[in-house]
Amino acid sequence: MTGKLEAGDRVRIASVNPPGHRRTPFYIRGKEGVIERACGEFANPEELGHGFDGLPKKRLYRVRFKQTDLWADYTGGPADTVDVDVYEHWLQPLPAKPQGQGDRA
Amino acid sequence: MSAEHEHAHDHEHEHGHDHAHAHGHEHAHDHDHGAPHPLAADDTSPPGRYELMIMAMRDLLIEKDVITAEQVRKGFETLDSWQPARGAQIVARAWTDPAYKARLLADGNEAIADFGLNMGGAKLTVVENTDDVQNVIVCTLCSCYPRAVLGLPPDWYRSKAYRARVVVEPRAVVKELGLDLPDDVAIRVHDSLADLRYLVIPRRPAGTEGWNEAQLAAIVTRDCMVGVANPQVS
Amino acid sequence: MKEHEPFTSGHEPGRGYHDIGGLDYGPVDAKVTDARPWEKLSIVVGNALGANGAKVIRTDETRRTREELGEELYNELGYFERGIESMRRLLVEKGVLSDAEIDARMEKIARNMARVGR
Repeated sequence: MTGKLEAGDRVRIASVNPPGHRRTPFYIRGKEGVIERACGEFANPEELGHGFDGLPKKRLYRVRFKQTDLWADYTGGPADTVDVDVYEHWLQPLPAKPQGQGDRA
Repeated sequence: MSAEHEHAHDHEHEHGHDHAHAHGHEHAHDHDHGAPHPLAADDTSPPGRYELMIMAMRDLLIEKDVITAEQVRKGFETLDSWQPARGAQIVARAWTDPAYKARLLADGNEAIADFGLNMGGAKLTVVENTDDVQNVIVCTLCSCYPRAVLGLPPDWYRSKAYRARVVVEPRAVVKELGLDLPDDVAIRVHDSLADLRYLVIPRRPAGTEGWNEAQLAAIVTRDCMVGVANPQVS
Repeated sequence: MKEHEPFTSGHEPGRGYHDIGGLDYGPVDAKVTDARPWEKLSIVVGNALGANGAKVIRTDETRRTREELGEELYNELGYFERGIESMRRLLVEKGVLSDAEIDARMEKIARNMARVGR
C-alpha cells in the first residue's frame, strides 16, 4: 500500500498479471501516468468479486495516461489522453520528472 | 388485448392452479411476477436458451422467497424510468445554472439528488467538454454505464469493437459513430471500471441563447452524454 | 491499419479474454436496438438480487463469474446472455439454486411455450 497520492503525482502501474478478478486493465499495466485526482475510498472490488468484504477500503484514483505513452503506434494527437480508475494497490509512486522547470524536491 | 386475455383465461381454466408455466404462466408474469409478455401474444417462435434460463431463475427465486414478485414488478418500473432524458435534464440545468454545474462537477451524486435521482452504490463523475477537449466514456472490461441517468447502454457501447478500440483509436471510433472531430480538439477517453460512472456535459451550442431548460434538454441526446456526439441546433 | 490485427499489446500471456482494451474487433456498428423483455428481465432480477435488494449477489461477483465463463462461451454469448449465464453460475456457487432445478424448470417452461405459444 502506498501513502496518499495527490493530483500531479507520477505513478507506474504494477506490471503484474495475477489470476482472479482484477479491475486494472491489461493495457495500462507497467505504464506511467499522472494522478488526475483522488476519488475517495471504496471496498476493494478485487476482494468483493470473490465473496470477501473488501475491507479495509482502498483509495481509488483517476490516473491520466498520454495515448502516446500507451501505444507505440498511436496515430492521434499528442494531447490525447486516457483516464483510468485505478486502486492504490496497483500504483507505484515515481519521483517527480527530473527535467523541466518547477520540479518538486 | 382481448384475444390475448381470452387465451390466457382458457388456459387458466384448463390447468387450474398449475400456475408456474406456459401461457397462463406467462400471463401470470404480468400480474404475479411482474414481467410483460416476452414478445407479441401471437409470436410462436421458440424461446432461446437464455430467455428460458432467466425466466426459470426468476420463478425459482420467487418460489424460494429469495426475491419477491413485487420486487420484480417494481424493478421493471424502475428500469423503465432510467432514460437519457434524465441525464439531459441534468445537463440543461448545468448549462443554465453555473452554481449547479459547479456542484455537479464536484460531486455528481449530491447534485443529481436535486432531481430525486441516486446512483445506487456507484459514484457519478461528471466531466465537461471544452473548446479543446472532447470527453468520451467507455468500460473496456465489461460495460459499466451510468444507467440511473442514461438507461441501459446502447448496443454499440456494449460491443467488443467499441470497448476494445475506443481507447486506442478514439478518433476513428467516434467517426464511425458519426462524430467528425477537428484535429485540434484533444480526445480524453475515460475507462470506468468499477466504482465510478461517467457523464459528459457537452458544450452548449451557439444559437441556444435564451432557451429554457426543457428546450435545451431536448437537444442533449444519449450519445452527447457518452461523448460520441455533440448537440445540434437544427 | 488492417482490420482484426491486434494492436501493440494484443494477446500477451496473462491477459484475460474479457480484458480487450487496445485490441481490434473491427468497425463499430452504430445500430441501436431496444432491449427485449427477457433482456430487461435479466437486469431486473439482477437488481433484485443485488445490493439494493436481497443482497444475495454483488455486482463484483457477477463480473468475476463472467470472467470465468471460458473464452469460447464468453465470445459466443451476447451481453445479456453473459449476464444470465454468470448469474446462474453464481447462484449455483452460493447454493441458492441448483443446476438440476434450473434445467428442469427451463424444460417445463419450454414445453408449455411449445404447446400454447408465448
